[in-house]
Formats: sequence, structure tokens, C-alpha cells
Amino acid sequence: MVRTNRDQLVEMAVWGEAWPAALRSPYRPNDRGEAGVLMGTAGVILNVRVGDPAYGWAGDHVEPGVSIRNREDGPEHALHYLACIGNDAVVVSGEAAGARGVMTGEHAHIMVDFEPDVLEQIAIGDRIQIRAVGMGLEMLDYPHISVRKMSPRLFDKLRIEELGDGRIRLPVAAVLPAYMMGSGAELGADYVDQDMISNDRETLAALGLDNLRIGDILAIQDHDHTYNRGYREGAVTIGLNNHGDSFMTGHGPGVMDLLSCATDKIEYYVDTQQRPNLAAYLGIGNKSLA
Amino acid sequence: MVATNHDRLVTMSVQGNVVSPGYPGIPAIPHQIDHEGRPRLLPALGGIVYNVRLGDSVYGWAGDNIEPGVAIKSPEGPANQALNVFACVGNQAVVMSGNAKGAIGTVTGKSGRFAEHVILAFPPDVLDRLAIGDKIIVRACGVGMTVRDYPGVKLKSLSPPLLESMRIEENDQKLTVPVKAVVPPELVGAGSGLTSESGAICIQSMDRNALQRHGLDALRLGDIVALADYDSAWGHGYRKGSVGIGVVSSTDSIKAGYGPGVTLLMTAPDGEIDPMVMDRVNLVDLLGIDVGGAKA
Repeated sequence: MVRTNRDQLVEMAVWGEAWPAALRSPYRPNDRGEAGVLMGTAGVILNVRVGDPAYGWAGDHVEPGVSIRNREDGPEHALHYLACIGNDAVVVSGEAAGARGVMTGEHAHIMVDFEPDVLEQIAIGDRIQIRAVGMGLEMLDYPHISVRKMSPRLFDKLRIEELGDGRIRLPVAAVLPAYMMGSGAELGADYVDQDMISNDRETLAALGLDNLRIGDILAIQDHDHTYNRGYREGAVTIGLNNHGDSFMTGHGPGVMDLLSCATDKIEYYVDTQQRPNLAAYLGIGNKSLA
Repeated sequence: MVATNHDRLVTMSVQGNVVSPGYPGIPAIPHQIDHEGRPRLLPALGGIVYNVRLGDSVYGWAGDNIEPGVAIKSPEGPANQALNVFACVGNQAVVMSGNAKGAIGTVTGKSGRFAEHVILAFPPDVLDRLAIGDKIIVRACGVGMTVRDYPGVKLKSLSPPLLESMRIEENDQKLTVPVKAVVPPELVGAGSGLTSESGAICIQSMDRNALQRHGLDALRLGDIVALADYDSAWGHGYRKGSVGIGVVSSTDSIKAGYGPGVTLLMTAPDGEIDPMVMDRVNLVDLLGIDVGGAKA
């Protein structure tokens, strides 16, 4: 069992409201200059959950489940920085008050998965509170590997093996090359995500990256996300797919940061038997993967 | 000279004020985090920069993404969007208020997300007389320019005088464009996924060996570079075979994912641009810009 400082973590409430989708202009060009309508970010998505395919929806940056946000700047950033994947959530107001769910990712909003009967009862503006725990989690014997955005509950499910000599290994659903990393390079690794670029469909198919599922655990080659997000030969980053595909140039399924190392001390392998995916690991969302 | 519709373009004034540098107030900290995780407090975006000029190296400054010369911004959001989209590299800038009123400068680039500035070069004696807040007009001309025989090539932030000076030739149904260096797609960083009508896209400088291998370790402000396998027609993103051309417009950064900023000038999603690496391809020579004796 990998040694961590989990007993030192603080569990703290953060909250947001189910947040409405917003449009300025309805149109946005795709990578060929054809106008499309952006639909998928924010709101309560009733029919896409973690574990569902990242591709194929007639939508853009689809955020599965309920998207929450806080209207005040300080609390909004607390929600972003403290909420971790796998944290418990509870509906605090409205028809579904008392219903429990699970935090599944961070994008423009924080995404929470609930069962379908609960999703149907949630109104825009309903308050949802998250028991945030995971910020500050460290692997005590691996100071050279950064750890982010994971509840201890998710950490335990990643099937991390210790290889000695400061090396670990874990299963992933797919591997991304460095040149495919796009929007989000300008953000620090503690904020939101970095999209993989899906515009070049031929390259995507040739690399076997066109069948990802939201919630997939992914490896990024030659990327050092220990502080910000950048190219470093030999570095390895492990992330989680948090939202669906996009038609905008330089965008695609998003990758949130979980683990990163500036050197090659993180090993990974593609597991085709038991899909490394959040839905399967936590028994939430699309349960067909479990 | 490549045939364009340059005589149909509209020249329009867009305006900004010389913008001040800024940091967040306490308890937030003003430091940036570098590649090794060390916090460093450095001068960064904005202001009037007296001693970093077009033709200087992008590397080695105790600064982060420094905009050489003058950075301007409009206080109104939509007006700033117009300033940033319409201003083109090579356009004239005219000081409209203050002690340097009447002085003429040149647009040399743009800064993107978190800044949204247009960057201008002026002679040193003008920089001396400028004040933060001074109004500067850009005589914007270039948006809407198309290349007659290459409809697949898109022009962004490119003025007719700059295009004319770039010594572009037509060879074998492609445009041969002289450049100082070619950036491979894995070294294209912050700016990816964002708009190509304004702003900049960074050459990632964290991996010094990779920079050296690709001949990117001696870049100067104002150098023309190519982006390989990057499509910037409707925003920036990887696409095998696409080629972009840009100008190095701001200095190096200490942050992973960042590095010298490049303002996009041309993009060929289907690859109709052939970059030709040459020793000297810099705005100082191309446009004859006076920056007080800086070397290119």
C-alpha cells in the first residue's frame, strides 16, 4: 500500500449552485470555419454521465451531470481548488434536498454525478455542497511525483504498484503524445484542465484515441505538469478525462491533472481488460464499465 | 509580390491607452512559479519598457513575457477586442496625447489571454516622453486581406507593407516564406486552443535541449518563425501538415507551457506554405524600424 499523509488531510465544505448554460452568440466556428452551436457546458445534463463516450455527442465540451458554480469570486475559487474527484456531494436546497452524489471533475464548472431520478429534480440555482478532501495529499516516498485533485477514495482505486527506486506503475485507458495537448497550456496545473486536440481525426484514429470515455485515466508522454503544464522530454503526466469532445480548433476531451513527474519515474500500461475509468472505479455514472 | 486584395482594405483608427503593469493585492502573491517550482517575482506584462527592444534576444532577461516598447489596451471590453483584432503587425501607431503627441511608431505584436495588449515599437526618445495612460491610435489595416491564388491560406494580424517586405515567392503551388526557424508542434504551448485573430502563442522553453535541437535557442524579438503541423485558421491547434507563420513578439517566460510569444501572421491549414530557414529574417530589417540602434 502506497504510504500517504491521508490522516493529515482536512475535510472542508465548499459549495455552488446548479449553474445555467449561457450563450453570447449562438455560433462558433469549427476547425473548418463552419459555424456550429455550442451546447454542452453547464446546466443539468440529463443523459450524459461519467463513463459515457467522450466522442459522438452533438454537443461541445459536454459536462456530464450537474454543473455547479459559486457566484462569488473567493468561494468560487475555493470550490475549484479544494473539491477533489470522488468527493461526496449533497443537494442542500430544492426538491432533491438530501440527495447524495459524487464530484467527477472540474471544468468551467465543477461536475457532480447523481442518479437519474435525482437529476430530474434538480433546478437551476439549487445549492449543492461538496465535502472537499484531497488537497495536500502526498505520496510520502515519492516527493518527485506531484499529486492533485484526488480524493483518498479515488487514489486507492488507481491500482498503483510500487516498483522500487522511486518508480510507480499504474494502468491507463490510453496514451497521449505531447503534440496533441492544447487549450489549457496557459493555465497552472491546479486549475481546470488541458484539452487534447481532436481536430486531426486521422491522427486521432491512427493513435487509437477516438474511443475515449469520460472518466478515463490517461497518460501524457513528455509532459511535466508538476507546476504548470509544459513539454519536457521524458516527463510523464497521468490525468483524467473530465468533459466531452469539442469542434473548436485546439480543443477536445479535457484532461485534469492527477499525477506528474519531471522524469520517467511514472510507468503506465494500457489495460484493455478492466478499463481504468472513474465510473468503474467508484461505481457511479455509466455502470456498464464496472 | 504575391497578389492580394490590399487595395480594397479599409484603414480604420483603433485606440488604446498605454497600460500599466499590475500585480494582485495581498494576501495573493505576485510571484510566478518557474519550471522547478520556485516562486520568482519579476517584471512581466505591460507598461513602457525602455531597454528591451525589437532585435534583442528573447532569452536572458530578468523578466517574464516582457512586451518590448509600449503596450496599449482600451479600457472598454468590446473596444479592446476591436483594437486587438484589427491592429496588424506593421501598422502605424500615432501618439494622440501627452508629451510625445504626434510621435509615430509601429505595431510589432500582441499579447493574449490575461493581457489582451497590442505591442508597439517607438524610438528611444519617444519612450522617454510617453506616460502611462497616453492615448495611442493604431491606423489599422490588414483584416480582410486575402491572397488571390491561395484561398486556403488565411492572413491574421498582417499588414500589406509587412506582407510585401517578407520576400514571399510562389514555387510549385506553394508560398515559400523566409523564416529564422521552425517550431515543432510539441513545443507550441500557451495560446493553443485560443483565438488566432489576436493574442499570441508561445514557443515552450522549459526543455532547453529541445529548444537547441530545433535551432530555437537564439531567437530575437521581431524574428519571423514557422509553426509546423499547427493549424491557426479558426484558432490554434495541431493538424498534421498545416503550417503557420508568425513574428516573435514578447520575451521568454519562466513558466512551464510558456516561452517567447509569437503573433500569428499567416496560416495554411492544408500546407500551402513552405518555410525556408534563413539567417536573418527580422522586423527591424523587413520594415526598417528605428529602435535606437538595436541589432537584429
